[in-house]
Amino acid sequence: MVYVLLPVSLLLAVLLLIPELFGDFVAYQIGLYLIYGVAAQGIGYLWGKTGVLPLGQALFFGFAAYVTAITLRAESGLIIDLALATAVLAAISVFSFLLAALIFRGRNESGPYFSLITLALVMIAEQVAGTMTNLTGGFNGMSGFDSLGNLDPFGSFYYVIVAATVVVSLLLYVLNKLPVNLIAKAVADNEPRLQLLGFPTHVVKGAVFAFSAVIAALSGGLFASHQGIVTPTSMGFGLSAEMVILTAVGGRFHVLGPLIGAVIVGWASAELRDSFPYWELLMAAAFILVVLKAPGGIAELLESGYRRIRPAKIGKSFEAIAAPTTKVVDSDAPLRFDDVHLQIGVVRILNGVSFETPPTGIVSVIGPNGAGKTSALNTITGNLRITDGSIALGKRRIDSRPPYKALHSGIGRKLQVPSVFFSMNVSENLSIAMMANRARLIDLFRPSTYQWRSKSLSDLLEHSSVPLQEELVEPVEHLPQGHRQFLEYAMTIAAEPQVLLLDEPCAGLSPDETALMTNLVREYQAETGGLVIVIEHDISIVEAISDKVLVMHLGQVLAFDTFETVRSNPEVQAVYSGGTK
Amino acid sequence: MSSVLFLNLAWQISTLALVALGLAIVFGKLQIMNMAHGEFVMIGAYAPVITSSMGLPGWLQVPMCLLTVALVAFALERTIIRHLYGRMFDSLLATWGIAILLREAVELIFGRGYQSVSPPIGGTLSILGADYPAYRIVVIIGIIVGFAALYWWNTRSKVATRIKAMVGNPDLAEAIGINTARLSAGAFIFGCCTAGLAGLILAPTIRIEPMMGLDYLIRSFFALVVGGLGNLEGLGIGAGIIAGTQSVLGAVANQTYGYLAVLTLSILFLWLKPDGIRSSSR
Repeated sequence: MVYVLLPVSLLLAVLLLIPELFGDFVAYQIGLYLIYGVAAQGIGYLWGKTGVLPLGQALFFGFAAYVTAITLRAESGLIIDLALATAVLAAISVFSFLLAALIFRGRNESGPYFSLITLALVMIAEQVAGTMTNLTGGFNGMSGFDSLGNLDPFGSFYYVIVAATVVVSLLLYVLNKLPVNLIAKAVADNEPRLQLLGFPTHVVKGAVFAFSAVIAALSGGLFASHQGIVTPTSMGFGLSAEMVILTAVGGRFHVLGPLIGAVIVGWASAELRDSFPYWELLMAAAFILVVLKAPGGIAELLESGYRRIRPAKIGKSFEAIAAPTTKVVDSDAPLRFDDVHLQIGVVRILNGVSFETPPTGIVSVIGPNGAGKTSALNTITGNLRITDGSIALGKRRIDSRPPYKALHSGIGRKLQVPSVFFSMNVSENLSIAMMANRARLIDLFRPSTYQWRSKSLSDLLEHSSVPLQEELVEPVEHLPQGHRQFLEYAMTIAAEPQVLLLDEPCAGLSPDETALMTNLVREYQAETGGLVIVIEHDISIVEAISDKVLVMHLGQVLAFDTFETVRSNPEVQAVYSGGTK
Repeated sequence: MSSVLFLNLAWQISTLALVALGLAIVFGKLQIMNMAHGEFVMIGAYAPVITSSMGLPGWLQVPMCLLTVALVAFALERTIIRHLYGRMFDSLLATWGIAILLREAVELIFGRGYQSVSPPIGGTLSILGADYPAYRIVVIIGIIVGFAALYWWNTRSKVATRIKAMVGNPDLAEAIGINTARLSAGAFIFGCCTAGLAGLILAPTIRIEPMMGLDYLIRSFFALVVGGLGNLEGLGIGAGIIAGTQSVLGAVANQTYGYLAVLTLSILFLWLKPDGIRSSSR
């Protein structure tokens, strides 16, 4: 709690002192920078956590500013003003959520597409605001209204801005401490993995975008009330661009970074803009420099300076509490491929794959490189869409669905190259995995969710040979390959999938670790009675664990039988010993 | 459809295809989301302003345009862009900064106000029963011929094959002796030069000002969203759909509606056909 209250009360103290120390006019100016800073905080949260860059945030800022101006001019009283403000914020959140969720649906990266759509939106909005003269006052804008609650913009309204700034900062600090923060960060870190853990990432991005849009709208409302005039530039592309610069320069990874950026840049630009003609050039150059050399901005520099004096405390232990049971899925049924074709461009990867696994047991998939083994797993999880045929789990058809739905049908997946959340530590990685398939929305806002541990995960971590326990606070990017394999395996089974897909789980492991991994897989299968599908090249492992072996060659099933039968199959021998088929 | 509307459509589509070409190369091939693309169009459009202010003869406009744009592109590639290959998101941010930098620099030199230049070819031609500016007709034909040549070059030249190899696998391309650093730089500068050339061609028909680039960036980007990345046919189709929608709606309703329609179309494409119209396998 002290981590939250200390910086926020410091912020409050500093802001309250400003009018006393520097007078009302400076407070008026700082008030404007704070308004921009709050909008930038919203951008910082969206961009810093999820990696989504909004280039049109002034759309919401300006829209709210216009609505505020129109309402204040109507002089209908504070209650109606506030009710209308709530309605506008609700409408903006719905609109922005739908926009982002729609564009990000079916993607697993944030790319430039969304940023450019927001840019286009704000350009249209500026044009509309400039031409709809009877509603917006055209290019001259709207003015001639009192501020909210008839407060003096040069006096008491400053405290309204301070209150808004402190509330938003407090909210962001609290969010940073909650499990939902991990989910938001995981989006930027490794979106495909998060999808395989059952999280619909487009919904996450949509929600965070809506949150940032509401913050922008809030500050837009304050802006109208503070400045007493709203023009199309308040809704324009230039302001949007400036807000992004404030966020970047101030530091997008920190709650207070964008505020610091807004106040420093705002003050410097007020001082220098008129006397120094190259000011705008300097700002652009500073922005490029930040992007290339210091992505954390001023806040990161301040923090690393502070950390030299007081190193961060690490490794607080916590008491584990039993995680709720996973959402039950009825998938105790065979996996069936029916004439599955997969073609990407002109490359035909799967050419009529048909097989039906037993409902339980371990199935190994072998075959030469390029046989289509990994692609077959990708079609099961929906990472690849099949061009023909069908895949069913029990009675339910599962092909051509987005990857985040795989876990909901009880399918867990470990990828070929260990795919974990590299910027986080082991403990955080496991926390996200524990939430997979268990957490309800409300659980993401409860600190106790961090402490969730399931029995199977605890057993795995306490297993004397599994090399994970001592590394719980170590960032994952420092882990050696073998440990990453175990981490990803632990994360995959944490959700207790009925169908476990493992893509070369023993790659890069030592002989001892290989033995351990195969034991773990066997134990998991025996415990859950589910189905495990393993892609493996090491024939001795295949022999040791498989109930059945699926041999693939050139995108087709060559043989599917017990290990002994497959070994004596002349066609399989021909493929493996290089003879002609 | 009246023939003037038809010719306007041809003009819009062909110029948009030319504007978008550079972005298709830089974004599609080099994975650099060049937010400063429109600014290269803008710099190209200022070339006639430069030549006339220096009192140079009109035919120097083309070399002046290519020289200015190539120099700017070269300097930026050496200092900034070359750090960004393979980092698409960072490239978006850095080129966003570059875009602001270029706008501000041009504003400092030429001022914020509009400039205009007159076309090198005056008069009108009577075509399809309508009188249409001769300059535009020459440009439309020139662009069609240029694209045909580019298509032909793309299928047979060694450089195009090397670029294809570099896009497919940069490490392997380097290993078999392709100088990817030089090839990328060349492709970037070439892409920017086509943008500059587009600006020069458009200059007599528009108002030239420092902020003009953004609109071209967005429309080029939308053309790529609709047409898909990776080949010239897609670019042509994308430019056709975007410019077609915008000019038809702009003619029957107004510019804002045209713009809104194009935006809606792009969002629909991103949602339903994320790889563009030419993606048949998905």
